[in-house]
Amino acid sequence: MLTSRTFVKRTRAGAVVKVVREHYLREDIACGAAACRLCPPATGTANAPGLEARPSGASSSLCPGPHFLLPDTNLLLHQIDVLEDPVIKNVIVLQTVLQEVRNRSAPVYKRIRDMIQNPEKHFYSFTNEHHRETYIEQKRGETSNDRNDRAIRVAVNWYNEHLKKIEDEEKIQVIFLTNDRTNKEKALEEGITAYTCEEYIKSLTANPELVDRLACVSDEGKEIESGKIIFPEHIPLSKLQQGIKSGIYLQGTYRASRENYLEATVWVHGDAEENREIIVQGLKHLNRAVHEDIVAVELLAKNEWVAPSSVVLQDDGQNEDDIENEEEKENILKTAVNKDMLRPTGKVVGIIKRNWRPYCGMLSKSQIKEARRHLFTPADRRIPRIRIETRQAETLEGQRIIVAIDGWPRNSRYPNGHFVKNLGSAGDKETETEVLLLEHDVPHQAFSQAVLSFLPKMPWSITEEDMKHREDLRHLNVCSVDPPGCTDIDDALHCREIENGNIEVGVHIADVSHFIRPGNALDEESVKRGTTVYLCEKRIDMVPELLSSNLCSLRSNVDRLAFSCIWEMNHKAEILKTRFTKSIINSKASLTYAEAQMRIDSATMNDDITTSLRGLNKLAKILKKKRIENGALTLSSPEVRFHMDSETHDPIDLQTKELKETNSMVEEFMLLANISVAQKIYDEFPEFALLRKHPAPPPSNYDILVKAAKSKNLEIKTDSAKALAESLDKAESPTFPYLNTLLRILTTRCMMQAVYFCSGMDNDFHHYGLASPIYTHFTSPIRRYADIIVHRLLAVAIGADSTYPELTDKHKLADMCKNLNYRHKMAQYAQRASVAFHTQLFFKTKGVVNEDAYILFVRKNAIVVLIPKYGLEGTVFFEEKDKPTPKLDYNNEVPSLTVEDTTLHVFDKVKVNITLDDSNIQHQKMRMVLVEPKILGKDVSANPSTEASSENEPEKKKKKLQK
Amino acid sequence: MASVVLSEAEKLYIVHGVQEDLRVDGRGCEDYRCAEVETDVVSNTSGSARVKLGDTDVLVGIKAEMGTPKLEKPDEGYLEFFVDCSSNATPELEGRGGEELGTDIANTLYRVFSCENSVDLKSLCINPREHCWVLYVDVLLLECGGNIFDAISIAVKAALFNTRIPKVRVLEDEEGTKEIELSDDPYDCIRLNVEEVPCIVTLSKIGYRHVVDATLQEEACSLASLLISVTSKGALTSMKKVGKGSLDPESIFEMMETGQRVGKSLHIALQKILDEEESLGTSRPKVGFLG
Repeated sequence: MLTSRTFVKRTRAGAVVKVVREHYLREDIACGAAACRLCPPATGTANAPGLEARPSGASSSLCPGPHFLLPDTNLLLHQIDVLEDPVIKNVIVLQTVLQEVRNRSAPVYKRIRDMIQNPEKHFYSFTNEHHRETYIEQKRGETSNDRNDRAIRVAVNWYNEHLKKIEDEEKIQVIFLTNDRTNKEKALEEGITAYTCEEYIKSLTANPELVDRLACVSDEGKEIESGKIIFPEHIPLSKLQQGIKSGIYLQGTYRASRENYLEATVWVHGDAEENREIIVQGLKHLNRAVHEDIVAVELLAKNEWVAPSSVVLQDDGQNEDDIENEEEKENILKTAVNKDMLRPTGKVVGIIKRNWRPYCGMLSKSQIKEARRHLFTPADRRIPRIRIETRQAETLEGQRIIVAIDGWPRNSRYPNGHFVKNLGSAGDKETETEVLLLEHDVPHQAFSQAVLSFLPKMPWSITEEDMKHREDLRHLNVCSVDPPGCTDIDDALHCREIENGNIEVGVHIADVSHFIRPGNALDEESVKRGTTVYLCEKRIDMVPELLSSNLCSLRSNVDRLAFSCIWEMNHKAEILKTRFTKSIINSKASLTYAEAQMRIDSATMNDDITTSLRGLNKLAKILKKKRIENGALTLSSPEVRFHMDSETHDPIDLQTKELKETNSMVEEFMLLANISVAQKIYDEFPEFALLRKHPAPPPSNYDILVKAAKSKNLEIKTDSAKALAESLDKAESPTFPYLNTLLRILTTRCMMQAVYFCSGMDNDFHHYGLASPIYTHFTSPIRRYADIIVHRLLAVAIGADSTYPELTDKHKLADMCKNLNYRHKMAQYAQRASVAFHTQLFFKTKGVVNEDAYILFVRKNAIVVLIPKYGLEGTVFFEEKDKPTPKLDYNNEVPSLTVEDTTLHVFDKVKVNITLDDSNIQHQKMRMVLVEPKILGKDVSANPSTEASSENEPEKKKKKLQK
Repeated sequence: MASVVLSEAEKLYIVHGVQEDLRVDGRGCEDYRCAEVETDVVSNTSGSARVKLGDTDVLVGIKAEMGTPKLEKPDEGYLEFFVDCSSNATPELEGRGGEELGTDIANTLYRVFSCENSVDLKSLCINPREHCWVLYVDVLLLECGGNIFDAISIAVKAALFNTRIPKVRVLEDEEGTKEIELSDDPYDCIRLNVEEVPCIVTLSKIGYRHVVDATLQEEACSLASLLISVTSKGALTSMKKVGKGSLDPESIFEMMETGQRVGKSLHIALQKILDEEESLGTSRPKVGFLG
């Protein structure tokens, strides 16, 4: 039967259009129950299992008989976590509900689709809108929401009638789940068995743990009933939008401070030059915003503006409603500061979009025994603690768990949430790795079948077809130089003298774009991942292993496809000719940096590869010199490497990475190749080239560096990169050889992030750090997606490959750059977190040590120190809980901190005592205490504490084991 | 305009018949042929109607779109007419042949509706000077069987009666930026008052008498005709003479009187039929060729 659905909608241009859709009603739609013989067997849904003949699910005390569940839209949206539990089976998802969910939340929709596909879950999607007996038309005076609610009830009724016809001794019942009070009442009136989600889940007596996963969405009315209101009300969205249009409010991304839970900054969107970064201070002004939310802020009057505080504050109050205490803490922030430090300050007036996600963290069990409400402390310090209700606090203690936020009522100090998943015990390596991947949003699932289906079939060999646009370079003495243990070799080099006396240098890069074709699942997955993530003992590949470690990896003595960049140079390393070509190479040797260095240094070796390496090394030195003359910066950041125990994979030793001449040799040629390619693709595609830029930092970024250097009577010029590089070279102190490295570390901290961008969307291309007018990434396509795009662009530019529409769409390219920049940033953070975790593991075994350290930064109540031996950075606090605070005097000008009578400056050499502080199960951290210089007053408390901690720690550990 | 070729004898037969108040198909001079009216035939318009008058077949669709009011009338909406003469209607309209006739009919419709109160244009205004509803009246001439003007005007009136314009609300914030909001209830809409919408009555002079609703054959015998538009109350809103011949002032008055009389009864009959159809509600089966 044909009917039509008519509705009116507004188009984006503002016109009102009447839309008429044909709507077909059928009689042959199956109810999905396996026991039903009335309905035609479902066709084309072989993998969708449908409802069981004898619903197995958990037994409910409310309805002991066999039953199917039928949830409404809001229930699915809010309680998806419970429904995902394997205990919940046999659920009918109506088309009406599915469509509403789809419109409201794409992620939840995907999760429901996955459940429907899962044969274990027995979820069935019933197309009630196309069933002749369950389709209803909107009545006069009925809103579309009311209509949908009615459609759901009609479907429940139909199911109950329909299932009665099944000849079976036990009648199956359909239970309608809704949290909407009026809908439930109406359903009961119509004779439908309806429960709220809570009622039903609580009735599952065999599975009490499910109650924890219920989201606590309180009714609007319930909110005000108890407790006093802590937060001001949020202004509704429509008013916010008007306010933003008229400029009363500013829209921006809320970024909580890692170090101070009472402070946050809001990054205002748009092009406004001033007020780009607004400070928000104090619990009430923060007004329930959570890190990453899109919020609206109102600026405060100028006399209320504050300066970013240098206090480190951690939220560790156990008593939830202790507001007075908070106010006291807020007062700490408001110490007198001079006028120039004041920044635009505002308060959050409303939330435009919540960006909540499930958070990893740990439970801090309530001190009251038998309590069900507990606080959850997320691993990310920027996320507030979340109150959850659970009965399994005992089992969850000491476990890493995932919790989702449900809401944040005005009278609650903390947001409410519910338990989602248990990851495993804290401190366990597997668990911690999972946590840090989840927390940094690194896609790390195994590659799906769809992705793997686009891999070349093994055994793979080079075909005639492949040869067509390629140059055969197999005769060249190509070799690769990489760190030890590297399996994804993406670059190889060669160098030889040619007849005219010049030198031919080639950089050969793995031709990944040959295997990853635009638009397929493999391509989409790699663009999503964006980069390979290297953790201390694990690598999260961007492309499947077959490509990364085999077909694309330029291993020795096998034929491999490559993209080559070949220069003709003279002996002064001046480029005479540049040529790009797709090629086939056969690497003669895969060397490590050390092996390559050895070959160059040993006078006895004179084979082709060694002479080639020597030639490269010689040219690299000239290139480097030229680059530094141009003002490229040589910066330093301490990098550590762990020696892993081969059995347990526990770190047994740790050393800072050492750089050899050959490292710099490879780097020089990679830079050169990147620059040459950047120029080529930019010439060919001025609008669509994917480039990488490194903006010059604003002069104010250098304040801290200049001040710090001044305290050591050194002058650092920051007018240009060249001046900076030169003044850094000169900044030497005969009595303090490490000073130069420290200055360089500090300089690194002043820099901006280098980012990918699309040349058509920007006009500043300069790469500050490399002092190059143009730059891109070409040399590591196995581990960076940006390089694949650059390969494709270059291939099109030289006519070796065909183009595709997305490649020349600058908006799409710009979006891709945004994602790539995000992924790179997150990968970097994940890597750091992994190093931090392994450092902790290392110190766990090592116990208590005293080490030399240098002060990097001075804060109001703490100093940040660097321990060169381990490349480890840590914070020494001078305020401790339950101990008298020593007299602190912070001088912002120098900067220095006077603790009692000892003044600490930046770059001072100190001695610190390092222990692993796992007394706080929420965050294991490296705890550092100043040992030298001894601080008066503090002396009494500090010294015993060092000794005490060395003895106390093991005791604490034992205690935990006994639990 | 469509025409048939008749021999002198045939013409004489028709003229003599009219003289005796007896037309070829048995009607009297003031009788209309049997008319079929069906509304709501095209679902994706705001209002539509199909009228079949003898062999003449007309389809009218009305689309309401948001537009800006005309400068001289900032607080009113307006109507736009477009007439498409299908070459199926008669072979003469093939190619671009129908264009001239189409413009001619459209212009006549503009004149007929130029009377201030024929449609309440003020009700079509959403907010003065900025937004108003524009009703695009699209006429499709499907078959030409004589007296197309009358048929078209009946169809336009029926379609206007059927028109449902979605209700919109204008939200205004403090600084005066206006936001237009649509109601999500499809039943929440404006209906037009068609009481004052005129219908055209064409009077063709045949011999010494005049007839209404002339067939193609009768039109071939008439040298001049008078188009008058009449409201349901009998008020004359416009008048137009068509045809090569001339009319005697005396007979013009006579024709006007006839037109008013016939027009009034036409309106009554049409309104009755429309109300009847309306009362059947949405369950009414569709009859016409689109049913």
